Amino acid sequence: MPIERLLPRLFLIALLAVLALAGWQWRHGAPLSANLMELVPGSTPDALELRAEQRIQEPMNREMLVLVGHADAEKAVELARQLSEKWQASGLFEKVQWNVQADLPALREQLLRGRLAMLPPKDRTEFIEHPEAFIQQRVQSLFDPFGGFSLVPSQEDWLGLTGRIQNGQPMHGSVQLDIGSGALIARADGKSWVLLRARTRADAFDMRLPLHVSALLDEARQQASASDAQLLAASGLLYAAHGQQQATREITWVGGGATLGILLLLLLAFKRWRVLLAFIPVMVGMLFGATACVALFGKMHVMTLVLGSSLIGVAVDYPLHYLSKSWSLKPWRSWPALRLTLSGLSLSLATSCIGYLALAWTPFPALTQIAVFSAAGLVGAYLTAVCLLPALLNGVELRPAQWPLKIAEALMNARSRLLTRVGTPVLLGMLLIFCAAGLLQLTTRNDIRQWIAAPQSLTDEARSVARITGYQPTSQFFLVRGADQQQLLERQTSLSQRLDQLVTQGKLQGYLSLNQLVATPAEQQATRAALDTLPAHWQPLLALGVPPEVLNNELANLRALPVQSIDAVLAGPLGEPWRLLWLGSNAEGVAGIVSLQGLNDAALLREQAQDLPGVQLVDRLGDLNKVFAATQISAAELKLASCVLIVLLLILPFGLRGALRVIALPLLAAVCSLASLGWLGQPLTLFSLFGLLLVTAISVDYAILMREQIGGAAVSLLGTLLAAATTWLSFGLLAISSTPAVSNFGLSVSLGLAFSFILAPWAGRQHESRS
Amino acid sequence: MNPFKTLVALALLVLTPLAHAFDLQQLSDQLAKPGVIHGAFVQEKQLRSLPQPLTSKGNFVLAKDSGLLWLLDTPLKQDYRITAAGIARRDTDGGWQMLPGKSAGAEQNRLFLAVLQGDSSGLQRDFDVQLSGDAQAWQLTLVPRSMLLKQVFKQININGAALVQRIELLETQGDSTLLKMVDSSSAQPLSDSERADFAD
Repeated sequence: MPIERLLPRLFLIALLAVLALAGWQWRHGAPLSANLMELVPGSTPDALELRAEQRIQEPMNREMLVLVGHADAEKAVELARQLSEKWQASGLFEKVQWNVQADLPALREQLLRGRLAMLPPKDRTEFIEHPEAFIQQRVQSLFDPFGGFSLVPSQEDWLGLTGRIQNGQPMHGSVQLDIGSGALIARADGKSWVLLRARTRADAFDMRLPLHVSALLDEARQQASASDAQLLAASGLLYAAHGQQQATREITWVGGGATLGILLLLLLAFKRWRVLLAFIPVMVGMLFGATACVALFGKMHVMTLVLGSSLIGVAVDYPLHYLSKSWSLKPWRSWPALRLTLSGLSLSLATSCIGYLALAWTPFPALTQIAVFSAAGLVGAYLTAVCLLPALLNGVELRPAQWPLKIAEALMNARSRLLTRVGTPVLLGMLLIFCAAGLLQLTTRNDIRQWIAAPQSLTDEARSVARITGYQPTSQFFLVRGADQQQLLERQTSLSQRLDQLVTQGKLQGYLSLNQLVATPAEQQATRAALDTLPAHWQPLLALGVPPEVLNNELANLRALPVQSIDAVLAGPLGEPWRLLWLGSNAEGVAGIVSLQGLNDAALLREQAQDLPGVQLVDRLGDLNKVFAATQISAAELKLASCVLIVLLLILPFGLRGALRVIALPLLAAVCSLASLGWLGQPLTLFSLFGLLLVTAISVDYAILMREQIGGAAVSLLGTLLAAATTWLSFGLLAISSTPAVSNFGLSVSLGLAFSFILAPWAGRQHESRS
Repeated sequence: MNPFKTLVALALLVLTPLAHAFDLQQLSDQLAKPGVIHGAFVQEKQLRSLPQPLTSKGNFVLAKDSGLLWLLDTPLKQDYRITAAGIARRDTDGGWQMLPGKSAGAEQNRLFLAVLQGDSSGLQRDFDVQLSGDAQAWQLTLVPRSMLLKQVFKQININGAALVQRIELLETQGDSTLLKMVDSSSAQPLSDSERADFAD
């Protein structure tokens, strides 16, 4: 038989080609990614918005804030210094900073140069409108011993403009500069906390970095507790490290558990070591899936791997299709068994692929990846099962154990006895009542937080760091656009006025906006113009003994100061906190970010942007939650569409009536699962819906098996039982995941599988005549 | 000369002053004794470009357990208060207005209190401290240790007897401030109005 020799050879050549491709893809190490943001819908096509978002997220993913706390401030400083030296030497960090090394000459220089451009709005208004009061306050401050030290000596700035710029700088949380050591110290809970900032060389999504950083931190914690100190840390890196460790653990559990369970099942049922070869399609499937994923998306997300590991249970169903025929086919030979089941196998592949690929049309890149991974994986497993495995099993005569068949027969008998007492319509009625009551209790919940399984300890610690330091960056921000710098700063000023109100009401902790740092060109001109009125009001300064020529000289210097652009001000040391916020010029004009501290009420923020032209609130998480809700509806539509496709496909072998019956059972199973979620008090999430979408596609397979009835009802049920058991072994294990999204998915698939199995026998022909 | 004798002579030279020295601990104890000090002050701020210093005068109350009242009288009237809670200024209708805490300012005021109260442990952290003289006439010289402080202060000199009498701040930029405490006395407790000022 030439075809039975040709197929395995052709397949091996194809397999070698895929292996070579995979080898090339992995040449620089694993093409894996852990960036959660890659998995959620990219709802922002706007390049500027995207860039702004990256700017805001970058520090969260690269920086770590560490607080070293000790009852004795000096010990805390010393520990922070040691820690910083050690970390700097580790080579993981670009910069580890525990003290301020202020370049005072540069600061003085910028303050003097920016006297007109950087004067805070309130002081500018007073300077222009009430010059006499301005001078009076200056005189007062010259005698004030507690005004704080001014960086610029009085005689270089007789009007005290630099002092006002210094005082007008937004407060940076509740940390204080310790001028002795230069450390930034906050006091809370009876301890002095020294702030340490570490900036890594790569970001959190470099696969190795987060684990290294987390290990260094753990080591530092031990060291700290040995000297009675406490360490608190907050960083996106730590979440990434945790997520990675968890993903690895779960892949091991789900993948390993499913593999072991399936192998054990195969051995127990078929009693032949060679039957373990049935696992080859699974491995080839995983290879195909991963290769297709990397080829299409450049890399694969760890979440795809976690969810994709459930494919093991589905892929093993293909060999099971013909292996299970060994209970009826005597003697069992691989190629004839395959030929008998080939049409069913192909149908099953087609329906499963339709189900998985339906996921690809949701707006979630995560699901698109999973869909591609799974569809390619199924094709790989199918091809192996059809082309290679029969050749490997050639000559094996299967004499399977009889106990599984006895179970299946017992189940069929139990069912028949039940049906003789209670008719199908009554059972259906009871089932529908169960469903209706369950559905009534069903609640929905959608939140991006379901994607993240952050442990309580990490979030608690981040909250403590925010409380102690006052640094509480929010992910929302405003994006402000303008035709030029003048317009941009004007628009930011309008926004600032509204935000200031929120700050005084205590609803917002603070914000950073470029207009806090530099005045518009027009305002700078106005300040300059006000200089002309000054000589009429500076009598109090003359009265102190300041010579008139000194003051005239000062006036000339101020007039000579140039109008300063945003870029010029940002270049100086005072511009540092704002540098990230300036997006520069683009085709439409210029743009800047207004970053926020300590507010998460998106509705309140959105109000602030109303009727302000060029001002836009960017709230990725809020937008995402909306996308989640909207997707739920489109997912339901997708489900129906995929069912129509499957019906069309099944009309060919089964006719319209048969096709409808075959599709009705998985749909009913899905409704039953929904109802069960309701009874269990579990919320319906987008992920449980996706799970049900998938289970429909998989369980069509069971209905097909039962419909075809090759080898009798009991043997078919046994085939279904084995298929369902293996699939459940892998999906059911997902339910143990600590990521709510993944465990939700696992739970709904498990429920769906159970109901599909129970309902599958009704796909058989004989009952049409009976009922 | 016998090298041994030289060594002994040198050792004596070094040891003798130490044996009888008035040390920092004694100074701290001495300055920490009075619970409340009342006095007047004259502040002379010497700016490089001015021919004569900016002079201001007033009274102060330093209470060990409460803080400092600094009542500026001429050339303008203005009351200040430093307590654990921060710095406050008396506004026009007599109430205390807390000044927003400025990090550098707050730190400087901690120093100011440490100097007035003779808290040398607080000072030794940030300065190289040298003491000369005796309990009746001593001088404390503070030279900043850290780079940051060095960019602000060159040196601080404090003179006194039973109480602090004179504080001189030499700034790196060339300005200097001289604070003279006159008629300081620890004889009187806080008056009711002073107690009220610290209380609210």
